[in-house]
Amino acid sequence: MSRSSEKTPLHPTSQSDIDEIESLFNISVQPATIEVPTSTAPGKPATTVHHPQVSIPVSSDPRPSGSGNASSSSAAGGGAAGGPGAFGGGPEYSTLTEPVWHTLKRDVVRVATNLRHVVFPNPYREDPGKALRDWDLWGPFFFIIFLALTLSSSATENKSKVFAVVFAVLSAGAIVLTLNVQLLGGSIIFFQSLSLLGYCLFPLDIGALVCLLRDSKLFRSIVVLVTLVWSSWSAYPFVSTAVPQSRKALAVYPVLLLYISVGFLVLAND
Amino acid sequence: MAEEENYANPLTAFFSVLFKVAALVFYIVVASFIDNFVIVFVITVFLVALDFWTVKNVSGRILVGLRWWNEINEDGESVWRFESLEQQELDRLNKKDSWLFWWTLYLTPVVWVALGIVAIVRVKLDYLLVVGVALVLSAANIIGFTKCRKDAKKQIQQFATQTVASQFASTLQTAFSV
Repeated sequence: MSRSSEKTPLHPTSQSDIDEIESLFNISVQPATIEVPTSTAPGKPATTVHHPQVSIPVSSDPRPSGSGNASSSSAAGGGAAGGPGAFGGGPEYSTLTEPVWHTLKRDVVRVATNLRHVVFPNPYREDPGKALRDWDLWGPFFFIIFLALTLSSSATENKSKVFAVVFAVLSAGAIVLTLNVQLLGGSIIFFQSLSLLGYCLFPLDIGALVCLLRDSKLFRSIVVLVTLVWSSWSAYPFVSTAVPQSRKALAVYPVLLLYISVGFLVLAND
Repeated sequence: MAEEENYANPLTAFFSVLFKVAALVFYIVVASFIDNFVIVFVITVFLVALDFWTVKNVSGRILVGLRWWNEINEDGESVWRFESLEQQELDRLNKKDSWLFWWTLYLTPVVWVALGIVAIVRVKLDYLLVVGVALVLSAANIIGFTKCRKDAKKQIQQFATQTVASQFASTLQTAFSV
């Protein structure tokens, strides 16, 4: 059986679905080709591309098959061991030549995008489901740690206790709040909500940082208040659209409570 | 094409073990000297998180050809995606690599659980937080990769039957069109 005759250059997004199906037929015919991407894989496409199948044993992304065949004859070890082909929000058909940087960059970009969508005004706020589509927990993780560190460093005594308490309260609080929304019959996904609540901590992070600068109580109160309002404002649309109308207050209130208590922690630290 | 007896991807294997071991060593050894919980916590958790990311994104891909992640689709439902290499590639994977990968994957949480018990015994409950985070991350990776592996096997079976069926259909077609 000869090799696949797919010689057409492909655009990463639009062709991928069609070619994916074609590649499934071709896979049986050709040896297991390995994708070696050309330079066109910049990172994940702007919106996730959804594929008809849930998961596919993808070995060959339909890249120009010339390069694929060349690499299939290379050694089993080494870099060309064939990263899984990738479509949409998953791993990239890129490359094992630079696996770490690409993946890392993609994750960093994802965190930045999520942050921007959640915390800053943008047109997606009307559709919260779409805004936080690619949830990730790295952002929240860093924000929680950062907040705990900041609060702990500015505490004059019991530093470790402050740290542990802040961390535990925030993580447990996020989990409990998510469960709350789900139990109220809301339609938010567990990880999405965790991710959201974590990202909304960002303003409080800034507030805590700024509070480190000045010691006056008035200044701190103002800063905390502003960032608190900002946090609540970011969290509100996501939470409120997730629950039925009659339960909105029940879902939103604990979120506000959590942020207010964190605000107090920031304020009370001296 | 020579089959190497040694690890085919020594660098990756090294890194995937490095962070785990570093986290454990740091937690056990250094924590005995440094009394500052915050530093211990942050560095250990940082190493554990680094290990999680490395295993999920790099080691899994390179050593065993598996990858898992989660997506939200159009309907707002969460979909777990698994991806794996073709059967031929899977067979070609270096046995040592995958042995190392799976063993370290399963062994690490066991060690962390033991450390958690130690922490309880020594009544240092703060450190349970550290152990908790480490356990959650290791468990996530284990679940993800195990599911991915099962899914890969299932996919291969399905695919084999599908290929046979399509070949059969095409031979039928050619037979009838003649």
